Formats: sequence, structure tokens, C-alpha cells
Amino acid sequence: MPTAHRAETTPSLVGTTIRRAIVLGRIYLVIGIAYCVVLTAVTSVSASSSSLAGVAVFLPVFAVVGAMGGMMVFTNDRLKGVLEYLLSYGFTPRRLFVNVLVASLVLASIVLGTALALGVGLSVAKGHPITVPLAELLGLYSIPMSYASVAFAETVGMFWTSLSSPRSGMTSSVGLVPILGIAPAVIVVIVLTAAHALALPGELAALAVVGIAVLLMLSLIGRLLPLERLLSPT
Amino acid sequence: MSSGYLGTPVLQNVSFTIEEPAIYVVLGPNGAGKTTLLRTLAGILRPYHGELRIGGVGYDDPASHGRLHYLSHMDGIPDGLRVRDALDFYARVERASAADVERVLDLLDIRSLAGQYLSQLSAGQKKRVSIARIFLQERDIYLLDEPTSNLDPKVAREIRTLILELSRNKIVLYSSHNLFEAREVGRYVLVIRNGQLTLFDRIENLRSSRFVIGIRVLEPSAALEGYDRQGDYFLRELSGPGEVPALLRDLESRGVKIREVREMDNPLEELFG
Repeated sequence: MPTAHRAETTPSLVGTTIRRAIVLGRIYLVIGIAYCVVLTAVTSVSASSSSLAGVAVFLPVFAVVGAMGGMMVFTNDRLKGVLEYLLSYGFTPRRLFVNVLVASLVLASIVLGTALALGVGLSVAKGHPITVPLAELLGLYSIPMSYASVAFAETVGMFWTSLSSPRSGMTSSVGLVPILGIAPAVIVVIVLTAAHALALPGELAALAVVGIAVLLMLSLIGRLLPLERLLSPT
Repeated sequence: MSSGYLGTPVLQNVSFTIEEPAIYVVLGPNGAGKTTLLRTLAGILRPYHGELRIGGVGYDDPASHGRLHYLSHMDGIPDGLRVRDALDFYARVERASAADVERVLDLLDIRSLAGQYLSQLSAGQKKRVSIARIFLQERDIYLLDEPTSNLDPKVAREIRTLILELSRNKIVLYSSHNLFEAREVGRYVLVIRNGQLTLFDRIENLRSSRFVIGIRVLEPSAALEGYDRQGDYFLRELSGPGEVPALLRDLESRGVKIREVREMDNPLEELFG
């Protein structure tokens, strides 16, 4: 049912949400970037160019940590009644989800941009060329898997937030999201370590699974999340 | 109409029509359905049965759009922003202008807070910012869910004054569980009890069937023998408030040192059962 005080179309709040995500999640953003800087700096000391490959495999983990601000905005907004306010002005649950998702992906881009600029820069500075397998790893796995992991973590977190009473600590969505979000990337790392190889097909398969899971969850928002789920439970 | 949450009805067969600009206080105990009523009128909850109409047209008619303001009982404060940014955020949602933001900064006396982060504000200051948004744009109908809860009496009075001014030519539905607040601001009262509208009347018609006062004294006195007791209060039933001064004069003439006098019966207790 349309609300009787909405405008014809709802405005974009992405810019404001990104700013809020940076403010609320700045500690996570700093931690995500710091991990990248430290790991890149440590591995750049190595003489082998494949050390950058090690960093590349971990990029999704750093991206998920750095993008936590988006989840914090969503959790905060549900609890404080901001989602209720926006719903009353005609915003749909899907619109609210996507708004936060875009903000999270922007935060992830900040982490990825820092990591890639630093990693590639140091590697080139030390005279290590960016090989084709490394470029493939970055372009076909690390970067897309980072975005997919962030989207996976945020979507699961938003569902968890919407379907549960407010929680604190590790069972809150803010506590769960990093653990859930890094799971696919960590599993890939474990499998690759066990196989002693960088198996691109395996990485692409993992990426596809995560991507499909995200798309499935996003497509089910309308069915699984009636408006009541987004109202403040207090 | 009937409505509720996730298929569970909270409001059942509620029906009323409002035409006169005034403050209509929605009274009821906790859990009675006041918030559900306002959320349904705001269009957030979909009625299970029945229909909502504004100006004779349903909510799906574009002619009904842009006619309501809704202020939930939660602050709706977007943390992570400064006060001015939050007002810009509201203005963006409601298609208000930068000039409107400047106007409400003065109207709500929050210009001095404009540069502060919302997380740094007190509960009263946050409430002011939250309420400021309903003054960004004029609408015909205002749905205000406990707008003065958690405010100190001075700020609450200031907010009520603003809302009273607003109600001169607007319809305001104002939920509360405080009868005294209702009497201060309301012209009409809607009493919600167990999800049903049990009374819709002018507020002056809302009165207790008994008028009982409690008298608290500095020290016990023989003059109060035979009075019923409720805690520290000696109770006396009168026919109305007009008899109070004579009773107090009589007690004082008999040496009773009175510390406090208050009305003991609350009509809400009768209405809420």
C-alpha cells in the first residue's frame, strides 16, 4: 500500500549513507586498511613476486572487515527508528538494503584500492613484474571475490538484523558479519593451501557460489522481509 | 479497519472520522495499540480489513500523497551525522529546501547544535532534532507518537506549545499514556484498549466518576481520624474540585500541617480497566 505522505519518487540516500558508514565504521575501515598495509609491507620484503599473490588471496578478508560500516548503519537505523521513518516515506525494504550494500561496496573499494596501489607499487618498485597469473588472480578472483564476500556478509547481516531482536556482542549482526563474510574466502585459502597450488577454477567456482547466494538473497527480500521486520523492536 | 504485525491482529474493527483541525490525543495503556494505529495511518502497516481514506480518497490515489507527517516514538535519528547534516537528510527525504532547514534550526532553537554530532546530544536535544523534521514541510495531518516522552518538563512544554500552534489549522493525532498531558494539549480523545477504540469524545467529557483527593501531612493529627489511608496519603472523597479549598481551610484550622494535596483517582484507570 502506498503511504499517504510519500513523494512521487524516493530520493537517493547513497551519498549520505556512505558518509555515515565511514563515520560509524571508521575503526573497522582503519583495521581493514592496516591489515593490508602490514601484510603488503611484510611480503614486499620478500624477493619473490609471488608474495603479492599471498596478499591477493587475503584481500576479500580485509575488504569484509573494512566494509563493516555499512552493516553498522543498517543495524543502527533499525534500532533508532530511521528505517521506520524512511518506510513511512515510501522507501521499500529492497531500496534500503541496496542503499547499505552500495555504501559497503564503496568502503570495500577504499580497502582494495589501498591494498592494490600499495602492493602493486611496492612490487614494481622492487623490480618484480606483475605476471599474467598474478593479474588473473587479482582480476578474476581477488577483486570480484572481495566484492562478493562483502555483499554476502552484508546481505546475511541485514537479514539477521531484520529477523532477530536487538542483540549485542558476538551474536549481534555486527559481531557475526565479519565471521560469516570471511568464511568463503578463508575456505578457499584453506583448500588452496591443502592443494599447494593457486587453482583458478576452484576460486572461480567459490566466487560463483557466493555471487549466486547474494543474488538469491537479494531477490527474496520482498518475500522474506515484510515491512514489519524493519521496524524498531523497542 | 483491523491491522497488526505479521498476520497477528492488534487493532480490531477500529473506525472513526476526523474533520476538524485540532489535537486528537490517542490514549491507552502500554500495548493497547496506539503505535499500531499511527503506523497503520502512516501507511507502514497494511490493514487486514477495511480502508483508510484521506480527503475522501484511498491511500493508493495520488491525490492522497504528501498529506501526512509521521513521527514515530523512536527518535529516527541517523547516527553518524551532525545536526545540520541530519536535517539535510530529512529535507532530502521530504523534498524540503535548504531554507526550510535554516527555518527549523531557529524554530526548534537548535542552531547552536548544528555543528555537533547527533551522538553527542542529550536525549532532549535529540528529540528536538527529531521533531524538527515535521516542521520542514507543511502537511494536512500530523501523526505524532509520544512526541514528548523522555523529555524534561520544560522541553516537553515547549514542544507541546509548538504542536498546539501547529494544530490551529492542522489535524494532529498525538499518542500518549499521560492523561494530564492529554488534557493540556488535546481537544478530543481517542481511547484505545485491547486493540479497540473504546471512546472518541471531547476531552472535557473525560472525567472520573469519583473525585478523591490524597492529603499528605507533616505529622499525624487527630483531625484525620476516620480517613482512609493509601500509603502516606489520607483519602477524602468530594463531589468536585470546588470543595477542596474549604476542606483544607477546615483541616488547617484544626491544626493539621498539610504537606501535599493531590487528586488520587485517575480516570485512565477506569477507562483502561
